[in-house]
Amino acid sequence: MANKNTAEKIDFEQALSELERIVKQLEAGNLSLEKSLELFERGVKLARMCKEKLSEAELKVNKLIKEREGEFTEAPFTEED
Amino acid sequence: MAAIPAPKILSVSQVNRLVAGMLEEYFSDIWIMGEVSNFKAYPSGHLYFALKDEESQIQAVCFRDSARKLKWKLEDGLLVIGHGRLEVYVPNGKYQIILDTIEPKGLGALQKAFEQLKKKLEQEGLFRQERKRPLPKLPKVIGIVTSPVGAAIHDMLKTLRLHKAHLKVLLYPVQVQGEGAAEQIAGAIAGLGRREDVEVIIVGRGGGSFEDLWPFNEEIVARAIAASRVPVVTGIGHEVDFTIADFVADIRAATPTAAAQIVAQGWHELEERFREVSSDLLNVMQERLFQEEQKVEELSRHRAFELVSRRISEISHQAEMQRAEMVNSIRSRLSGVTATVNSLTVRLSRQSPVAKIKGWQIQLGSLNSRMERSMTARRSGLSARLEGLAGSLNALSPLSSLARGYSICLKPDGRVVKSLSQVDVGEPVMVRVEDGKLGCEVKEKIKGGGNGK
Repeated sequence: MANKNTAEKIDFEQALSELERIVKQLEAGNLSLEKSLELFERGVKLARMCKEKLSEAELKVNKLIKEREGEFTEAPFTEED
Repeated sequence: MAAIPAPKILSVSQVNRLVAGMLEEYFSDIWIMGEVSNFKAYPSGHLYFALKDEESQIQAVCFRDSARKLKWKLEDGLLVIGHGRLEVYVPNGKYQIILDTIEPKGLGALQKAFEQLKKKLEQEGLFRQERKRPLPKLPKVIGIVTSPVGAAIHDMLKTLRLHKAHLKVLLYPVQVQGEGAAEQIAGAIAGLGRREDVEVIIVGRGGGSFEDLWPFNEEIVARAIAASRVPVVTGIGHEVDFTIADFVADIRAATPTAAAQIVAQGWHELEERFREVSSDLLNVMQERLFQEEQKVEELSRHRAFELVSRRISEISHQAEMQRAEMVNSIRSRLSGVTATVNSLTVRLSRQSPVAKIKGWQIQLGSLNSRMERSMTARRSGLSARLEGLAGSLNALSPLSSLARGYSICLKPDGRVVKSLSQVDVGEPVMVRVEDGKLGCEVKEKIKGGGNGK
């Protein structure tokens, strides 16, 4: 439960795993209603963080430009229409 | 008989030269089809073999300059179509065909070359399944080898964007057809492999003719893919196109789009999983709440609950009965008590002091009246006696004396003056006579003299 802060960088996979664990626990159904609600709340938080992470990510495309033999520089690549 | 001209006798050489001249003139530009047999490549670069069919065969030669133009390799058993001319070797009178062009029958030359390289690399084990490396599940940097223009790069980037981010793409722009393309492609694969951040390489190209796709069938590209540090996914041409590169690649995708999908699959699945899990989260919670409601509902219908409620009604019925019973018993006891009380009251009332008091009152009353009667009787008796006495008393009264002419001298305070000493001269006195009083004043005190009595 380290990720209390939504601004904190989260590992998408980790968050997703935790979210899955929470859903499994909830599905098992042997928790008290109180505990269930507590987990649910945590789950909602994680889901929101994952969603934010997904929406912030953008595909970066760079092209390699040959400088000399065996040496390259990267430059942003944009498609020519 | 006409004389028969003497036959012209030719030398062997003459015959062979004549034949050579005729054959080489008539067969200077022919196409021939036959199966290659007894093939030999000489170190000089010349190729020697026979072409044959079911019934016949002919010796064939392909000199170095023509042989160099062949992209594929001649071998025994191949059915080929060749172009060339006949040449007679005069010293032994044998002829052969000199071929400048040879094409495999049925397949194009490139196709043949393809088949041959495929066979060769297959034998080397380059296509073996064990060589195939798994792709990284969630690659962060993807290398792409393709042309910077055209459909392939566009499709791949579009697909990667669609299947989402988390990715960095490094494009190594190359020429994908024509002279030198194969070398560029091979160099790009090696170049991207040298970068430590690149986790997987896509080699892509849009659709084209077999010739257009040719660079991907060249050995140098196949070798570069086989030697790549990171897994290589190919997406070359369309669904139906297979290149040597495809066979060597760790994964062959049908198209550039498909290649991008495969590479981004892990991310895509992760995102799908996320979407599922987040909707599961809501569903499971809703389900839970629903279950709780059901539980309450069920409990309320549960047999035990029914038993309890039946028991409650039994108990309340019992309680009601008991209450009624109790009320009855209380009532009957109460009526008993009341009866007792009543009888006691009666009995009590008989012994009541009230009765006694009444009795006493009656007694008292009668005593009273008896007393009154006797008192009255006595009083009237007494009264009669009193009158008699009064009569006699009257005779004795000073008042009757007064009537008889006597008077009484009284001091102002009412005391009767019986002696001189009681009064002083000048002192007022009252003299009582029978019918009134006389106000008098003592004029003088005269001793002795009495009234004679």
